[in-house]
Amino acid sequence: MGLLDYYRQFDGVPEEEINRELREEAAERRRKALTRVQTIDLSQTTWPELPHPNIANSITFIARRGLQLYPHLRGSELRNELADRHGVDPARLIVGNGAAELLSAATRALIEPGQKLITTWPSYPLFPLMARRAHGQAVPVSGGVDALLAAVAEHDTRVVAVASPNDPTGELLGVAELERLLVGLPDGVAMLLDEALIEFADTQPVDASLALLEEHPRLLVFRSFSKAWGMAGLRVGYAIGGPGSQELLAELEPDLGVNELSQAGALEALRTAGELLDKHVHAVAVERIRLSTALCKRGFEVSDSQANFLWAAHPTLDGGELAARLSRAGVLVAAGGGLGEPRHVRISLRNPVASDRLLAAIDSTLAQPEDGAQPEPEGNAQPEPQSEPESAPEAA
Amino acid sequence: MRTDPSDNGGLFVGRRPGTAPVRYRRLPQRGSAARQRIDRYIADAMFAAMSTLSLFCWGPIPLACLWIGSQVDYYSGSISLGILAAFAGLFILLFGSLKLMRGLDEGWILVRRAAGYDQRGGVLSRVFAVTAAICAGAFGIWFIFIHGPGQMVSSNQGQ
Repeated sequence: MGLLDYYRQFDGVPEEEINRELREEAAERRRKALTRVQTIDLSQTTWPELPHPNIANSITFIARRGLQLYPHLRGSELRNELADRHGVDPARLIVGNGAAELLSAATRALIEPGQKLITTWPSYPLFPLMARRAHGQAVPVSGGVDALLAAVAEHDTRVVAVASPNDPTGELLGVAELERLLVGLPDGVAMLLDEALIEFADTQPVDASLALLEEHPRLLVFRSFSKAWGMAGLRVGYAIGGPGSQELLAELEPDLGVNELSQAGALEALRTAGELLDKHVHAVAVERIRLSTALCKRGFEVSDSQANFLWAAHPTLDGGELAARLSRAGVLVAAGGGLGEPRHVRISLRNPVASDRLLAAIDSTLAQPEDGAQPEPEGNAQPEPQSEPESAPEAA
Repeated sequence: MRTDPSDNGGLFVGRRPGTAPVRYRRLPQRGSAARQRIDRYIADAMFAAMSTLSLFCWGPIPLACLWIGSQVDYYSGSISLGILAAFAGLFILLFGSLKLMRGLDEGWILVRRAAGYDQRGGVLSRVFAVTAAICAGAFGIWFIFIHGPGQMVSSNQGQ
């Protein structure tokens, strides 16, 4: 370093130059912010949009009116509204803190230690967990009604738990099949039917399964405000039983009722958000066909979903690998590994823009070289998971 | 009354203007302690040179220009040419000195930094002001007590 160069290194950057650099950096940040594409989350089964503003208004009204008193223990107003909506006796309907909690309570009430809970698999990850928490044992079964009946006959079964539409496959257990299952069940076996996603189904009326309650009192149907109603944060669900189920239902109810704000939100949803619900359901139905067709054209194996998601498998790419690649492309989907089937991914349905983003991401992803697909696991009956599922079950 | 200089009523958000650390293109590699000591001497020498040059601007340079003007007047016989030469000389020498001092000031900043000081700005304006005050004071003393009224007072007393 020369003599002058030694001293020149102590020369500071002029203020004008600093300001110009700062302006250029700010312009670059602004440009990046404008061009950055937000990650889109298609891994959740909850409704992504805000609920109807009237729901927030009604909750605010109740909160301002005063929360110093206990709510009505049996949520009479909401219960009557729901009973009226479904055409059942209010005494056979209970409201709880989400369908998941009611399902767990029902399992605890029904299962004796060592008894079995039969469930289809892959299905709602809560089913095996709630059997374990009730000191029972879950027996996951792959297949339809016949496989379920065979498993029931084989084990000391107390409960059959089925989700319809099933999470994560989206498959609906039709009324005829459901009746065949109920008829085939031995005495002393109760059936828990989780219909948290039933509002999205369009192949049969929403309340078709409720008609079976009259003849099959061992059936309990569980519904939720968390999915199509878009109010997962309120934690409101309800259960409907057949004639004579009042005693059991009373056992399942929360001891001190459902909080008043949740009741107000759910009640307002029933009264004013019906049209919005119909729009949600219609949008999902349209998108379900479009995306399902587009995925099939790309070689995917897509289940016949009646829910707000698709259960899809690529012919060669493992579900976890596909989900990771899509995540790098800015689209999140649920890998099947944590849901009971590693080959698959669960893709939630939103709107045409989201579907187009997903398809573009899939096209760009599949153009990349594959680095690690896993073979499809074989076998019909699946062993009970020895540990907690990889991902926590979404509450219904 | 507010006396806290940092209590600016929210006028400046963040650092106060003019207090930012010097930003270098890359971190300077400062020399040894001996070299820094030498740099301090060099900086002092540059400061002295600036002070001297600044003092020249207030006395010797104008006087030199008057002398040049008188010489031109004497040899050419033209008083206008003498005035012109005096002004031209004054212009060239004063602005030349200022330019030289400015260069010295910029160099002084770098040498001071090399000597280990956090030197943000130059010192030229203060040198210029101080030398102006010194020269004005010296001129006043000379004018009042040595040359001007002093002589007049003493000569009146003599009559």
